Amino acid sequence: MAFSFYQEFYKLCHRKLAWIAPLTLLILMILTDLSIGYNESKLLMATCYNAPDWIMLILVVVGATTFSMEFQNNAILTLLYKSPSKALVYLSKYIVILIYNLWLHLIAMLFTFGLHETSLNQSVSWSTLYRYQQPLWENMLKTSAIDVLTTTFIISLIFLLSCLINSNSIVISVSLLMVFMGQFISDNLLNSEKFTQILRWNPFNMTNLTRQYYNYATYFDTSHLLNQQLLLGTLSYTLLFVIVGYLIFRKKRF
Amino acid sequence: MLVVQNVNTYIGQKRIITDASFKINPGNIIGLIGPNGAGKTTLMKTILGLTKFNGQILLNQTTVTENQHAALDKVGTLIEHPAIYPFLTGQQNLELYAHDPDDCQSLISKLNMNTYIHDKAKGYSLGMKQKLGIAIALLNKPQLVILDEPMNGLDVEATIIVRRLIHQYAAKGTAFLISSHILSELQKVMNQVILINHGHIIINQPIAEFEQLHHQVYKLHTNNSQLTVDLLKNHHIHYTLDGGIFQVNPKNIFEIQDILSSQHVYLKELTPISSSFEQIVVQLLNQQRGGDHYDD
Repeated sequence: MAFSFYQEFYKLCHRKLAWIAPLTLLILMILTDLSIGYNESKLLMATCYNAPDWIMLILVVVGATTFSMEFQNNAILTLLYKSPSKALVYLSKYIVILIYNLWLHLIAMLFTFGLHETSLNQSVSWSTLYRYQQPLWENMLKTSAIDVLTTTFIISLIFLLSCLINSNSIVISVSLLMVFMGQFISDNLLNSEKFTQILRWNPFNMTNLTRQYYNYATYFDTSHLLNQQLLLGTLSYTLLFVIVGYLIFRKKRF
Repeated sequence: MLVVQNVNTYIGQKRIITDASFKINPGNIIGLIGPNGAGKTTLMKTILGLTKFNGQILLNQTTVTENQHAALDKVGTLIEHPAIYPFLTGQQNLELYAHDPDDCQSLISKLNMNTYIHDKAKGYSLGMKQKLGIAIALLNKPQLVILDEPMNGLDVEATIIVRRLIHQYAAKGTAFLISSHILSELQKVMNQVILINHGHIIINQPIAEFEQLHHQVYKLHTNNSQLTVDLLKNHHIHYTLDGGIFQVNPKNIFEIQDILSSQHVYLKELTPISSSFEQIVVQLLNQQRGGDHYDD
């Protein structure tokens, strides 16, 4: 098992994409700061300069290529027979991407501290009370923690799609559509005001978890779910997607 | 070491391998031969627990199933295409699987890969990738190595090196299961042959025995070719006919002489001729396709 993790880390660490991603994240955070930082300082600090959206984008690309690179480089057979079980192959890939996800969130927080110190916009103290009557630093930590759960849900979905589709470009396209259009699809479903009690539990709605946490007033009207309900839905769908993804992977012929 | 017992492999509902049984002992070099689509690669994948199958596969007395691969720890393989990540260098591709850096370095030297091993694999030629794939298969002192068309894309020098390496590893007890369409090359390394067609193993013999049993055919020339054809067909005796000259199986020569003489057909010539390994294989496949019938 340790050797499977070693192999997955080795591959991830040697992919250029994995190292370009934090740099891209920093650039996007700086651009966010420059564009809306003058009147939304507190919101940007609480959300790590909109890092949740940027991290989601990075994870879609990195996650979608995790399986497809094995298919496209003919490495999947070697990987499978060398591993004691298919479950271990799936699990080690999943856990390595989760750790990468955590690492991106930690880096985003470090970048946030750095940007806060060097920002051209008005400086706000980290102890200033903001959402839920909590200081900004606590808002940032909790938003990042919640976003780890949202992105884990997205990774599970990407893994499921990757096991269904071998081409990474198609997986990336479909994943991006689901992540960024999912909210609109969910909005439209719920706007019809029919079967709202059931439709509010649709998986697309769960992509609102992070946004609703830092902007409850706006997003509750969209999601029709309480924060706790969104959290429960996200965790349940994550588990469901992991299990279904693994079952598809297990049955897949190589 | 490896025991394959009554194995049937399925892809979907279709049976690809039927009732395959054979053994591989330490140091054996088995040549797995057969036409395209015969089931060679499927059989290899089955041994590696990569397909749905029933029957039993035991490696060092440990069962291999589709979801139980622990016994495959000491198996190296190159199936279909080398498993190489283009964003890694050759050295890094090896390090990814290697348990011992010295073993890794030794294989790089033996396969003459020193000059390009630190370059990214995306720039490798087919032959370079193939050598790297073979090196990966030979890493970690495997007990069994499964190679599917290992000589693909290799130049003469590399082919000789690979052949030598196979012999060296086999001498130390590593068993090999090798499939190749280049029979002349396979003939130089294997000491046992498995011939497979339509998913059935039709021959499984040590190479010496195989050659002894199948190496000879007899050339037959009679004073009445048309009547000879009729008689052989009537008696379901396999033959090939080329310009009035028949080729028949040695096991049938006494029967043929009796049949012909009873019909007053006389022999002009009946002499043994040697066949190449390739010819024998083609002949056996033809026999299997047509039962005991005829090719003219």
